[in-house]
Amino acid sequence: MSAVGRALRVLARGSRDHPGPAAVATTAGLVNGGTMVLGAAAVGWTTDHLVLPVLDGRPVGAATWWAGAGVILGVSAVRCGTIWVRGVATGRVQHRAQAATRRAVVRRYLHLDLAWHREHPPGRLLAHAVSDVDAVWSPVQWLYFALGMVFMLVGALAQLALTAPALGTVGLLLVAGVLVLNVVYQRLLTPRARDGQAARGDVARTAHESIEAGPVVRSLGLAGAEDARFAPEVERVREANTRMAAISAVFDPLLELLPTVAVLAVLGIGSRAVSAGDLTLGSLVGVCYLLLTVSIPLSVLSRFLSILPLAAAGHERVEAVLDAPTATYGVVGGAGPDGPALLEVRGADVVRGEATLLHAVDLTVEPGTVCAVVGATGAGKTTLVDLVCGQIGPSRGEVLVDGRPLDDLDLARRAATLGLVGQSPFLFSTTIRDNLALDGHPREGLRAYTDTELWTALEVADAADFVGALPAGLDSVVGERGATLSGGQRQRLCLARALLRRPRLLVLDDATSALDPRVELRVLARLRALVDDGGPTVLLVANRHGSLAVADRVVFLADGRVVDAGTHDELRERHADFRDIVSAYDGGRTDDEDRAVLAG
Amino acid sequence: MRTAPFSPADPGLADLADLGPRSLVALGIRVTPVLASGWVVTVLLALAAGAGRIIAPLTVQRAIDRGLAPAAVTHALEVGAAALVVAGLSSWALNRRVQRRTERALASLRREGLARAHEMSATTADQVRSADLVARLTSDVDTITTFTQNGGVQMITNLAQLLLATAVMAAFCWQLTVPVVALALVLLLSMTRLQRVVARRFAVVRADVSTMQGVVAEAVIGAPVIRVTGTADRMRAQLDEAVDRTRSSQLRTLVPLHGNTALGEVAISTMTVLVILLGVGWTTHQQWGPAPDLSAGQLVAMVFLVTFFVRPLQFLVQSLGEAQNALVGWRRALELVTTPSAVVSGAHAVDLAGGPVGVELDAVSASYAGGPPVVHDLTVRIAPGQHVAVVGESGSGKSTFAKLLTRRIQPLGGEIRLGGRPLGSIADAALERRVVIVPQDPFLFDTTLGQNIAVGLPDVVEADVRRVLGDLGLADWLAELPDGLATRVGVRGDRLSVGERQLVALARTALVDPDLVILDEATSAVDPATDVRVQAALARLTEGRTTVSIAHRMATAERADVVLVFEAGRIVQVGHHGDLVVAQGPYADLFAAWR
Ligand SMILES: Nc1ncnc2c1ncn2[C@@H]1O[C@H](COP(=O)(O)OP(=O)(O)OP(=O)(O)O)[C@@H](O)[C@H]1O
Ligand SMILES: Nc1ncnc2c1ncn2[C@@H]1O[C@H](COP(=O)(O)OP(=O)(O)OP(=O)(O)O)[C@@H](O)[C@H]1O
Ligand SMILES: [Mg+2]
Ligand SMILES: [Mg+2]
Repeated sequence: MSAVGRALRVLARGSRDHPGPAAVATTAGLVNGGTMVLGAAAVGWTTDHLVLPVLDGRPVGAATWWAGAGVILGVSAVRCGTIWVRGVATGRVQHRAQAATRRAVVRRYLHLDLAWHREHPPGRLLAHAVSDVDAVWSPVQWLYFALGMVFMLVGALAQLALTAPALGTVGLLLVAGVLVLNVVYQRLLTPRARDGQAARGDVARTAHESIEAGPVVRSLGLAGAEDARFAPEVERVREANTRMAAISAVFDPLLELLPTVAVLAVLGIGSRAVSAGDLTLGSLVGVCYLLLTVSIPLSVLSRFLSILPLAAAGHERVEAVLDAPTATYGVVGGAGPDGPALLEVRGADVVRGEATLLHAVDLTVEPGTVCAVVGATGAGKTTLVDLVCGQIGPSRGEVLVDGRPLDDLDLARRAATLGLVGQSPFLFSTTIRDNLALDGHPREGLRAYTDTELWTALEVADAADFVGALPAGLDSVVGERGATLSGGQRQRLCLARALLRRPRLLVLDDATSALDPRVELRVLARLRALVDDGGPTVLLVANRHGSLAVADRVVFLADGRVVDAGTHDELRERHADFRDIVSAYDGGRTDDEDRAVLAG
Repeated sequence: MRTAPFSPADPGLADLADLGPRSLVALGIRVTPVLASGWVVTVLLALAAGAGRIIAPLTVQRAIDRGLAPAAVTHALEVGAAALVVAGLSSWALNRRVQRRTERALASLRREGLARAHEMSATTADQVRSADLVARLTSDVDTITTFTQNGGVQMITNLAQLLLATAVMAAFCWQLTVPVVALALVLLLSMTRLQRVVARRFAVVRADVSTMQGVVAEAVIGAPVIRVTGTADRMRAQLDEAVDRTRSSQLRTLVPLHGNTALGEVAISTMTVLVILLGVGWTTHQQWGPAPDLSAGQLVAMVFLVTFFVRPLQFLVQSLGEAQNALVGWRRALELVTTPSAVVSGAHAVDLAGGPVGVELDAVSASYAGGPPVVHDLTVRIAPGQHVAVVGESGSGKSTFAKLLTRRIQPLGGEIRLGGRPLGSIADAALERRVVIVPQDPFLFDTTLGQNIAVGLPDVVEADVRRVLGDLGLADWLAELPDGLATRVGVRGDRLSVGERQLVALARTALVDPDLVILDEATSAVDPATDVRVQAALARLTEGRTTVSIAHRMATAERADVVLVFEAGRIVQVGHHGDLVVAQGPYADLFAAWR
């Protein structure tokens, strides 16, 4: 089916999905179309029965006067009412359908694979959710109007045929001409509309990227370069729009003037009929009036049809999102057992594109222990963390929690089991309280947290002091991505958020990197105490002494492979690379010395 | 041309909410003059197009008036056909002309908008969500295209037609024209009233759309966090709420908007009746006043003429919704473009002397968005070429200090001088690439590794990029990448590890070779071995340049010429590591915790 045909089908579905307003709009549209035919008839009738007799000096009764005024005004009143009702009902369908599609698109974003997200810049996703969805439903604004107009056209043509068959042919030719023109119009417009929508997506992507890049643009004086990058994309939108305009510049006037051409034709043919006595002057006037009125429905119809290619383009882009594969999860639900979890990774490979990021990784973290992952930059630590947290799937091997494949767990069970503090802290632009609590307690039926619980978690993350010092405390709003906080403050809130959820396995990806040594030490000591107190199993990525000192076991990762595992001292003895990393800043202190520092 | 852009509480974007439609259009034309360029020709074309559309009823009238004599009909047909050709051609030309100009204006509006987003003061930028700025460059501007493509140009033709029809009607029969025009004026007046309500509601719609974009952006950018915390339901509720709120505010425009259209319809149909009845009545009741003398054909033609007056009016009324939406979209785009630039340039701007840059702060304090000061009484002297380390507890104001030096925020009090010149009056052009900050989470563009490193300098060659990577000891890392410098780094550098992103930012900075470089935890995610290596290399590369390194890794402080210790927004200790570590105070505590 053609793109336009698909767009029409979508519109039909939209009407079915909102039957109430669609029915009202259709009815109002049809009645409105009817009033236009009636209006023409009323003018014709008034001419024949009132105007001509009066001007000829024949007597006309008051009743005729009132009838003339009444008919015309009555028809207008009905038309006016239907315009209002049709407009409101049409808007209901359009905006409701828009909202429904938009919801579907943005909800899809929540369930698409994270790998998919990585490939799709946020700016473009914004364009899908806003401009493409708008485009899909924009023809609705003309749909019911156009339906009524089709009805009116049929009525007008019938009337025309009854009045004068020869003139009816002119009318038919007119409508046929308009339709043919429209089909050609569509053909030409479709590819251009598609280009336009695509270019709009690119503009949104670049604009978003450039604005997010604000600081580096200022610092390096890239404003000119950014403009140079943006300009061709803006140009592409401009060109696409201008090319659409070039088409419409030809077709719009053509479609608009065609009825007037028909009027002239009718005049040519009709004048002869009138002189021959086959037609009254009133009928001829009525026909001319009708044809001029027909130009309104034809232009509405044309507007409706000309907007379809854009809708089709939007639809294609929206469908691409809705058809993308969602992430799949297991079915095992519930909160699961209590107490620290056992984590095992067995022979896991992670492949992304052509690169193998992890090779046959084996890892076991016993319940209630702290395991540190050490490795150089780019060794694959974050990849391992993502794997363990189910953010990415292994291409070979498996991840087991308490001996059960992670893949078997549903999302809620995972959320109740795992806690992750990522390497780049992310906060929502809402209050601190909302950022911490999110949905509520995942292990206890999403119940709300008490303030005591919130403050305890903040205490462990060493964030209670600064949150307490904020004028609005827990109810302070943190700005986009937590912009109103310092880096270390953001990171501590993320830590508190993870702790609050009482995960059975807590994963920290370099989660103390933005903390000063004193705070870091305090946080790590409290974390260790928590673990010793029956708290979570901890997997932490860290390269520094302080973190290694709280670890029971250390895993050394290099180039995506587990090189060795053991205690800090063992690894330091066995691997020069390892020594390089952990001792780069100091003269090589032992675990015992570290513990002494930690304790003191 | 602004200098000293130091105002304590920076406002957000320009606020044009109170601007009426006429001033808005005037402003729009001032911003993008191309819109009004060659308006004489545009007006002539519109008049020709409108005139062509009016000829038809006149020819009909003539023909009917002459009793449909064959000669009259033929003549009428010829004139009518010629008029239509003129109308068609001038409509075509008008369409092209207006749309081209509009699109050109919109293109420059987008470009200027983005440029302004980069020029506005950083504090303003911080106050606006990036999704809102994106909306002002995209969906808001698109409303104008939608409008011009779907009736905007016809609106001009119709306006011309309306004026011409009025003139012809008046010439034809002024007695009937007066009531028609009077009615139209009443209609217009009452409609502008309602239209104000409609405008307000459309403004709410655009604002809600922008908020919705913000929520969607958050859902997309925060996807990993949402996934791992299993809080898709919460986010979904927020998304639904934002989508539904937009829908509700859209629905709220409908009743007044279409009420207005319907109102127009009443007035319009009244006009036709008025002409017919009044015309006929008047001819027969001469006592009403100076009566028009109409034949049947003339009255019919008058009705046609009224149609040609009424139809454009009807069209204008129907297009009000789109027009209003476009006007609001335009206003939002213009608000971005007319936000004052904070760029310091022009005659008052001073240059920054060449060579390493010295830094002096005198009693500087600063706050965010009108809040309480977060740093107080900073008085510092950094000699040209010195390597300064800044340490202190988290939240003590170190990054704020860095933002002050790079003019990201403006001091509340006190003075900052770079190279002896007041920072506030140094030209932006003099600071670009000479004073550079490397943040903890550097921004990478979604292009190749090589382009990300070379981004500061347009005309570097690949060899330079390789050299700088080599100098930083990163040649091995580069060699391991299968695609080398052509490696695509992904959205925000997502395909690189966090540490690798920081290395890219360092290489980028080293290539630019600034005179004052500020490293704000620039290597926090880099493993210690690489960090030590890269820092040493960087120190070699920036030998003789002024360097300010903010770091939690005390190794940085150990190597620095001078250490500044921050606590609770103040500099509490200044000195060399060797002296500070033995003195009692926060530095010794931090170092002990580190050791
Ligand atoms: N989508 C991808 N495609 C190709 N390579 C990738 C992709 N994502 C990451 N990589 C590469 O995989 C390697 C491991 O990345 P990872 O983020 O796991 O490192 P890391 O050990 O966490 O490093 P850091 O200490 O810097 O955080 C890096 O070399 C990175 O460039
Ligand atoms: N944009 C902002 N709006 C309001 N307050 C802010 C903003 N940025 C920082 N602050 C506040 O200013 C204070 C100083 O923050 P700053 O970022 O300078 O700290 P920092 O020393 O760099 O800390 P860290 O070591 O954690 O990065 C903090 O209390 C922080 O909450
Ligand atoms: Mg990492
Ligand atoms: Mg900081």
